[in-house]
Amino acid sequence: MNEPKKLIDTPSQTAGPFLHIGCTPRITGINIFKSELGLIPFQDISDNEAINIKGKIYDGNNEPIIDAMIETWQCDVNGNYSSNQGFARIVTDLKTGEYQLKTIRPGNKINTDGSLSASYITFWIVARGMNRPLITRMYFLENDLKNDLVLNNIKIEDRLNTLIPYTEDKKNFIFNIYLQGKKETIFFEF
Amino acid sequence: MIKKHQPLRKFHDYKSSISRSPNKEPLWINSSSSEMSGPLFSEKIINKNDNDLTLNFSKIGEKPLGQEIFVHGFVKDENGNNLKNVLIEIWQANAGGKYRHQNDPSNIKLDENFGGCGRFITSSDGYYIFKTIEPGAYPYPNRGTEWRPRHIHFSLFGSMFLQRLITQMYFEGDPLIKSCPMVNSIPDINARKLLIGRLDLSKTENEKILGYRFDIVLRGKEQTFFENKREGL
Ligand SMILES: [Fe+3]
Repeated sequence: MNEPKKLIDTPSQTAGPFLHIGCTPRITGINIFKSELGLIPFQDISDNEAINIKGKIYDGNNEPIIDAMIETWQCDVNGNYSSNQGFARIVTDLKTGEYQLKTIRPGNKINTDGSLSASYITFWIVARGMNRPLITRMYFLENDLKNDLVLNNIKIEDRLNTLIPYTEDKKNFIFNIYLQGKKETIFFEF
Repeated sequence: MIKKHQPLRKFHDYKSSISRSPNKEPLWINSSSSEMSGPLFSEKIINKNDNDLTLNFSKIGEKPLGQEIFVHGFVKDENGNNLKNVLIEIWQANAGGKYRHQNDPSNIKLDENFGGCGRFITSSDGYYIFKTIEPGAYPYPNRGTEWRPRHIHFSLFGSMFLQRLITQMYFEGDPLIKSCPMVNSIPDINARKLLIGRLDLSKTENEKILGYRFDIVLRGKEQTFFENKREGL
């Protein structure tokens, strides 16, 4: 018996420098759609539970990327993913390259084997010069991250800190992403 | 399975990919619930004319300049199943090759009747359709000045984040496709053809709108080993 023939998935192409026209049209002065996608990841985030994440994406010349779009995806405080919340679409500032995200801290969930799931936010990044999206994660705790990843590959142990943001108050986080160099962020492939 | 049909991240002929791609190997992991889930968008966010770029920005009674076209097709998964409820967003330059964007440096005029973006959610049989105008080719800096083949940018949300795709549709017969470094970053020559919208005379309307057919396939859950994956990673 023959295996059913699989179709080849359509190749990715760069989103280019003008992705805003289609993805965040209001930035370009186009106001024709009902709403922009992913403006807020969760409805009615209280001041109490809100966290703020900001940062820049640095290219190989250590220049911040000003034409990137980041889509973030995360679970709720109970560790559950839902198709109607947890998604945000943000772009880096057209002049400074800084992005900002206001969200809530994702929770942990008890796995079937009794362990706790890791708490992280997925960052999905496209820009001019990226033929395929780059995917990384922002973890909150080193322990979460080690349980999640180190078993997969011991070779990345010295770079695990690239997936942990800087914070002084556990409310405001700085999460910079480095495409190359000494601080090169860990990117994932699935 | 080793896949050569997805583009290399770093491709020498595409200059900005050199500083905008990682130097180290990616970390291959099994997808978990975060990759197997994703946002779902409802018809409620779509206006009636969102998929008609000749109407959705123009003044009443006016039309953008350029050859009117339909771009249509089916969105499928790799098993050939049609995918419903897939949100498609498209954007493109006007007939002269100018984008409605503050960072587009070209001197070409904007078309006051053309915004250049549209949205659609695939129907129960995975079908989508846009009406628009043929975009112009445009120059951009790469190895000196080069020309992009005429293209429409496509963004798609499947039912899980693993299926998230941004790509471009090119036009059958465009002589600029062959030398485009973004197309040529795909190692498999046959896979490059999957990005070409085919002239579809069955979709021509009243002998004044041309049709193009562009089917899109979103990946499945299986791990996809790219050509540059090294053993043991
Ligand atoms: Fe373009």
